[in-house]
Amino acid sequence: MTTKQMKGFEDSYVVEGRMALPYTYFAGRVGSKFITTIRDQKKIMGVKCPTCNVVYLPPRQVCDKDFTDIRDKWVDVSNTGTVSNFTVVRYDDKHLPRKAPFVLALIKLDGADTPFMHILEECEIVEVKIGMKVEAVFAKETTNTILDIDHFKPAAERISVHEINATRKQWVPVDEPDTQGKRKGGKPDMSKPVIITAALSGAATMKNQISSVPYTPAEFAEEAYKCWKAGAAMVHVHAREDAGMATHEHARIKATYDAIKDKCPDIIICLTSAVGMGKTAEQRLSQIVAIKPEVASLNTNSMNFGIVDRKTGKVFIDYVFENTFTMVQDFGKAMEENGVKPEIECYDMGGLDNAMLIGRQGIFTDPMNFNFVWGVAGGQAFRAESFIAMMNALPAKANFTTCGVGTDQFPCIMQSCILGGHMRVGLEDNIKMPNGDLAKGSYEQVEVAVAIANNLGRPVATTDEARLIMGIKKR
Amino acid sequence: MAHKKNRNVGIIGIGQTKHSSHREDVNQPELIHEAVSLALKDANLTMKDIDCVVHGNMELFEMVHSPDLWHVLGTGAYGKDCIRITTGGTVGATLSCASDNLTASGMYDIVMAIGFEKLQEGHTTGGITNMADPLWFRKIQAGALTGSSAYDVEREFGLERANRASLTYRIIMDKHAGLNPNAHRAFGLDFNQIDDLIRTSPKLVGELKLIEMCSQSDGACCVIFACEKKAKEISKTPVWIRDHITVHKEETFSIFGYNREFPVMKTHKFAAEQLFKRNGIKDPLNYFDVFEMYDPASWWAIDWLRDFFDLKGDEHLKLIENKEIMIGGKLPINPSGGVIGSNPIGATALIRVAEAAMQVRGNAGPHQIPTPVNHALASGFGGTMWTVMTMLEKELNW
Ligand SMILES: [Zn+2]
Repeated sequence: MTTKQMKGFEDSYVVEGRMALPYTYFAGRVGSKFITTIRDQKKIMGVKCPTCNVVYLPPRQVCDKDFTDIRDKWVDVSNTGTVSNFTVVRYDDKHLPRKAPFVLALIKLDGADTPFMHILEECEIVEVKIGMKVEAVFAKETTNTILDIDHFKPAAERISVHEINATRKQWVPVDEPDTQGKRKGGKPDMSKPVIITAALSGAATMKNQISSVPYTPAEFAEEAYKCWKAGAAMVHVHAREDAGMATHEHARIKATYDAIKDKCPDIIICLTSAVGMGKTAEQRLSQIVAIKPEVASLNTNSMNFGIVDRKTGKVFIDYVFENTFTMVQDFGKAMEENGVKPEIECYDMGGLDNAMLIGRQGIFTDPMNFNFVWGVAGGQAFRAESFIAMMNALPAKANFTTCGVGTDQFPCIMQSCILGGHMRVGLEDNIKMPNGDLAKGSYEQVEVAVAIANNLGRPVATTDEARLIMGIKKR
Repeated sequence: MAHKKNRNVGIIGIGQTKHSSHREDVNQPELIHEAVSLALKDANLTMKDIDCVVHGNMELFEMVHSPDLWHVLGTGAYGKDCIRITTGGTVGATLSCASDNLTASGMYDIVMAIGFEKLQEGHTTGGITNMADPLWFRKIQAGALTGSSAYDVEREFGLERANRASLTYRIIMDKHAGLNPNAHRAFGLDFNQIDDLIRTSPKLVGELKLIEMCSQSDGACCVIFACEKKAKEISKTPVWIRDHITVHKEETFSIFGYNREFPVMKTHKFAAEQLFKRNGIKDPLNYFDVFEMYDPASWWAIDWLRDFFDLKGDEHLKLIENKEIMIGGKLPINPSGGVIGSNPIGATALIRVAEAAMQVRGNAGPHQIPTPVNHALASGFGGTMWTVMTMLEKELNW
């Protein structure tokens, strides 16, 4: 403490003091998990209140609006977001994280409902605007603080599929007699929209592998909505019980179907008629007839359908997936009679031939929609020449899409897109991204498919266009 | 006559955290949420039922401004009337007074008081000292550390007897704290350790020893108040607030006193005299069944007993020496273990009211007094010479 006298006030002392203000901040368990997830997984998580559906970021233990305890309600949010407000710090001080001038921005991350404060860099201060898209840059070295996100920087502009589709002309079918000839020659009509399907669950992908695989109707609805937003026109669904087992129970499948339709009314739903291991033909078919989705899968051959170690060849699960000619015929007839368009699943050329053979009875209406499936242990692995052979064996008006298990996923859909076919992605087939990271959800693989379409100059089909192409009527 | 009330007010819900030296697992609103949730559960209410939240802590002790706003995450005050109170060490007691007044006035039917402290996070001396002005008695504060009571008792009764009385009181508090599952510190001390402790406990100021001082605790306490009608509807055992009094004296921001003839700490005596007089209580020592006293150090505690109950000569020391202040004695003091046992400052004085009310309800737990508790007294004390006293009753019959 010191005293001084100001000029002109020689009879008055001014006492000057100075105090340090040390403090400790206890982040608590919730706050600590927020930081450690950023540190260890480069992932930003918030909590979602089940009462008011608000996603809080940073996370908090209690929803202040309805006092719901939300400490366990963790959800992933995006590393990208929007600047909702900002200020420019124009003085230097010890407690400030950067040398002035710098920008502190309130950023609302995609998937969060509340903004949080961080440093915004890698752009001129005059370029910072409310509403600009930004993305997190993670720190190279951890400090176990919020500065494990080092800063935010302007995000690469990504215009949504729906914005692009809103500004282009809708695709109209043209009757081209030589379509098949052009396609065989590898010169398909690249202006034809590509239908992206997301297979959300399958029967065997479990939450212990990837937490975003949906089990409950609400989770299916949320995943389907994210996929639709990313550009998918169709979702393929194996409904699950709460514990994750694939189910043939009509009520549960109906609840799952309805939840998706409620959340995302435009999207096409393709229900499985395989359901899962050990289901009877009656269990597999009756739910399709009961629910009458727009599309259902139709499997074409009895085959091994197991789980085999890809490196050692060791058999983990041995199973024969039964699809006799009678079943293919009965399933196909029942679907067509109930206005359900079959998606004909071909695990090899023989399956395709089986469908064509049964088709002589006149069961299937045009256009027939085929799905070439690669990489099932029991079916064929992906090979470019096999793909072309199958494509060239299709009837003239048929459509084809494709999906591949594991690392076959992205190469096979890219080949399909080049050749004028469609693309299926999703956690049923593969839980990873092209770089080997776990996908955040099926929607992130949809984003890869959209990027493939964009790079090849093919428009991404809207749900209406997908219905036109596949010959299905909206329910 | 007690002070005028439009209607009676009862305590219908009580919640406390376990008090502890540090709580790394929670931040401030999360700590508060624990006490609030427990109080709501105790009253069988939800936040929807609460009309007003009264929030209190020590100003700047956690280095947060407007804590009532940030703490909404734990207090549940979103969209509700909320008032912040800071009166120093007495804040918890003032929370209780304010909640009583807000309810008695008819303004609100159900009011929730929340006192809290997280001393680990801030800088206590910084908070107290704030702006020191040595010319005008705004001294640089070193916390509530004073040896003057020890000097006074020692001079009057001799070092040997004074020391033994202080340590006896201290050990009684430790034994009480040992019974209270929420207490911060319970060492398991026994009376045969008195001589050892006098010799070995580090001396802080004069005869004031480390063992005799209160703890620095983190914790929160929440008490729900309701008007008579609601209290009777909601609770089977509402505890009625009969009267409360606040007295302060702060012409100087000092707790040391000038000398023996002019002690600062006369507010307890004055408050007690006024409170008992206006309620027609002639023999408070016999009237009350329990006293939850704000006892920041055992020297203060033994000295203050004389002030609170207007005792003559060495009566106050005899109460202690004969262990009449222990659970089972004539007037049990601090069955909770008191402030020496746990001191989350912003909550401390509210805990006095809460613990006294729990004794009246008869469900305090292992530290419940075995005989019926019909009349309870609680006190609060603060660094700027504040005394707050609260009288609680089991029956509405005064
Ligand atoms: Zn909520």
